Amino acid sequence: MNMQINQFRFWAIGLATSWLALFVLVPSLMVLVTSFLTRDPDFLIRFEFSLDGWRSVFDPSFISLLWDSLSMALITACICLAIAYPFVMCLMSLPSKWRPIILFLLIVPFWTNSLVRIYAIQYLLGKKGLINDAMLGIGLIDKPLDLLYTPFAVIFGLSYILLPFMILPIYSAMEKLDLRLLDAAKDLGANAAQRLWRITLPLTLPGIVAGSLMVILPAMGMFFVADLLGGSKHALLGNVIKNQFIQTRDWPFGAALSVLMIILLSFMLWLYYRATKLSNRQGGINDSDF
Amino acid sequence: MTQTFKFGFIGLVLFYVYSPIFVLMVNSVNGSRYGNKWQGFTFKWYEKLFENDALMQAAWHSLVVGITSATAATVIGTLAAVALQRYRFYGKGAVSSLVFVSMLTPDIVMAIALLILFVTLGIELGYISLLIAHITFCLPFVIISVFSRLKGLDMSVTEAARDLGANEWQVFSKIILPMILPAVASGWLLSFTLSIDDVIVSAFVTGPGYEILPLKVYSMVRVGVSPEVNAISTLLFVGSVVLIVISQLLLRYKRK
Amino acid sequence: MNKWLTLAAATLMSFSAVAAEKVVLYNWADYIPDTVLKQFTKETGIEVEVATFDSNESMFAKLQLLKGKGYDLTIPTTFFIERMKRADLIQPIDKSKLTNFGNLEPNLLNQSYDPNNEYSVPYLWGSTAITVNTDEIDPKTITKWADLWKPEYKGQILLLDDVRDIFLMALKVKGFENNTRNEDEIRQAYELLVELLPNVKLFLSDSPKGPLIQGNVPMGVMWNGEAYMAQVEMDTVAYIYPEEGATLWVDSFVIPKGAANVEGAHKFIDFVLRPEIGKIIIEEIGYSTPNKATVPLLSEELRNNPMVVPPAEVLEKGSFHNDLGDANAIYEKYWQMLKQKQS
Repeated sequence: MNMQINQFRFWAIGLATSWLALFVLVPSLMVLVTSFLTRDPDFLIRFEFSLDGWRSVFDPSFISLLWDSLSMALITACICLAIAYPFVMCLMSLPSKWRPIILFLLIVPFWTNSLVRIYAIQYLLGKKGLINDAMLGIGLIDKPLDLLYTPFAVIFGLSYILLPFMILPIYSAMEKLDLRLLDAAKDLGANAAQRLWRITLPLTLPGIVAGSLMVILPAMGMFFVADLLGGSKHALLGNVIKNQFIQTRDWPFGAALSVLMIILLSFMLWLYYRATKLSNRQGGINDSDF
Repeated sequence: MTQTFKFGFIGLVLFYVYSPIFVLMVNSVNGSRYGNKWQGFTFKWYEKLFENDALMQAAWHSLVVGITSATAATVIGTLAAVALQRYRFYGKGAVSSLVFVSMLTPDIVMAIALLILFVTLGIELGYISLLIAHITFCLPFVIISVFSRLKGLDMSVTEAARDLGANEWQVFSKIILPMILPAVASGWLLSFTLSIDDVIVSAFVTGPGYEILPLKVYSMVRVGVSPEVNAISTLLFVGSVVLIVISQLLLRYKRK
Repeated sequence: MNKWLTLAAATLMSFSAVAAEKVVLYNWADYIPDTVLKQFTKETGIEVEVATFDSNESMFAKLQLLKGKGYDLTIPTTFFIERMKRADLIQPIDKSKLTNFGNLEPNLLNQSYDPNNEYSVPYLWGSTAITVNTDEIDPKTITKWADLWKPEYKGQILLLDDVRDIFLMALKVKGFENNTRNEDEIRQAYELLVELLPNVKLFLSDSPKGPLIQGNVPMGVMWNGEAYMAQVEMDTVAYIYPEEGATLWVDSFVIPKGAANVEGAHKFIDFVLRPEIGKIIIEEIGYSTPNKATVPLLSEELRNNPMVVPPAEVLEKGSFHNDLGDANAIYEKYWQMLKQKQS
């Protein structure tokens, strides 16, 4: 029997560990090493030590680009949150048999190729697109608005594509919420706003943070959204990294950029874990009390 | 009043989410090639689609890769999550940080690094290399989804089972697996969704004999041949709705 | 019983498919008609397997990572031939095996990016110039690159997302060589392009005809084939070759160093060079044919369309891009700066 324990343990640990070591650790080390090598225009890289890749990362123009990209992602996350949170609250007030069906209805469109959906959004936002046509028809405006190829269009596209990544974590956080807490607060005289602010919001915070991360991280990398809806004028970090590898062929710089991005994002993740630990502790009190 | 408001809001969000899908469905039967105006109802794009062997074959390849890689990633990922939760072992911290690193690595970087690795290891580019790459980028999503479910479970049942003489494999298959099944299923769905939509990694790690749908779609829309793409997207959309309806009905039937 | 027979037959067939000789073509999406491939297979018994790439850059990167193995033919543009040659990725083409090589237009051969066409054989060629929607802009008001800078075109222009094609416009307006490596000249061109930015609505290289057809922009700098496809869709399209000279480019067949079927690759190139095959390609794909013998076969309408068969002076005035080696980095630097100037 002891042997069987070991066998299961061996496979459970061994399979994933060796997979991650071979296909994640080794490539990541290659990227790290590449960031310290010398660029070669014809053969990509030369095996000579150099800090050029890292030097270009700290160029002020790239710092500002990093900032632009991050702020675009943050705005996107805020918009997703503004849609997702009330949506989930409305959803939770429905009878429970309706919830999975509506949730499913919400997810299905996201199985269509994202590029195809971005092209469809172009038809909506264009000068002669559906939104402009509708507004002209009602007489709301008398000249088509410039919606496409603006930062607005990029944020619209990003928040559209990433919406389910915000809704799902908030839903699972809200579902765990103990409704008796809200009833108790009501009995004690708290009004709706106080209940939302003092109870629902703090207790669903881990869901909000998880959702925000799942939106912010991909938002910085979705270069095709910036290209097709923003007219390639509003670069995201993903555009820049891709350009360094494919267009400019400056691999050490591209590698340094991606290492930097991983470090920055890991730092954000670490902050998130501290946040959840904190709020888990708050949640832990009522877990044990009830 | 508030009830109407709630339904209204939900309806509005669903409308927002579906509007691009409506656009592409309408354009898939629009006579105009670029869909800038309505030029009569037609099925010609569907006819063209069925003549386009390469596109149909790519769709088939995508399904095969999606299903196999999602399944493999789910198996490996579930075992890994259970191991991370239940056992202490050397290098555990390193394993969990690798999970996050693989999630954070930009696609293009992962694509190039994996291609170099495959070339060095002598793995032929095609189905196998695609499978490995897709499993790799799906794995963290499965591990995280299953692990978070395990965290909330009461593990004292497993102790009891072991005291009653169940071995580790039985504990896993008879007790843990049924409890985490929803998370395993959602891990599979997430993986499948990721795999069927991936362009960047696949473009680098696939070989000439194995084209897949997103790659084909990507290069087709780039030259502006979209009507057939609208047609195949509509078909896949309708197909997945039908599949979901069937699975829901089956679930209901089973519950009764 | 019957079922087993079918199964056996199917297995046998799949075996024979594996055994059949094949040529692997690494190509742009939808850049060769299926009928051409099928006819080639029918005549020679050689299967053509097509793999697609989306840009010269990614094709080059992938071939470089594979050390030129896995593909028998690919189609890079102009100066990428030079780059691939320098990176030792392609092999010389044996022209004695190409019976139809003589059909090619001499003006497109022996260019500086591949002297004597040792490594490449032209497939299609074209230009980058100004396309306008004649409903919104009178084509007569635009005759040269410098006209794009007119303030009345504020927010109305689409530019290709291509560093060299866009710098060419500014370099030509300034009267410089389009292959200059002089940083001072490149900087002056950059400054001129900054002045153009208020007029630029978007940069796009993926199907640039789209925004023109959908009415999002009235004019754009794009390839002749795109302009032609837009014209087929909406009639009101004019393609203007600027006085200063347009960018010219040639997409050419090359054989990667590690090709498995060099013989088959030669056969395929020779097949495509036949006049009647060239006709099928032009009618379905658009752009311009480098095949002199194809032109007389085209319909009169196509022959007289300057988008398909450009007037002779276009070739004289236009210029090709060369690979610039280290100077590429200078262009890239200013290109990134230009893109970031946008708000």
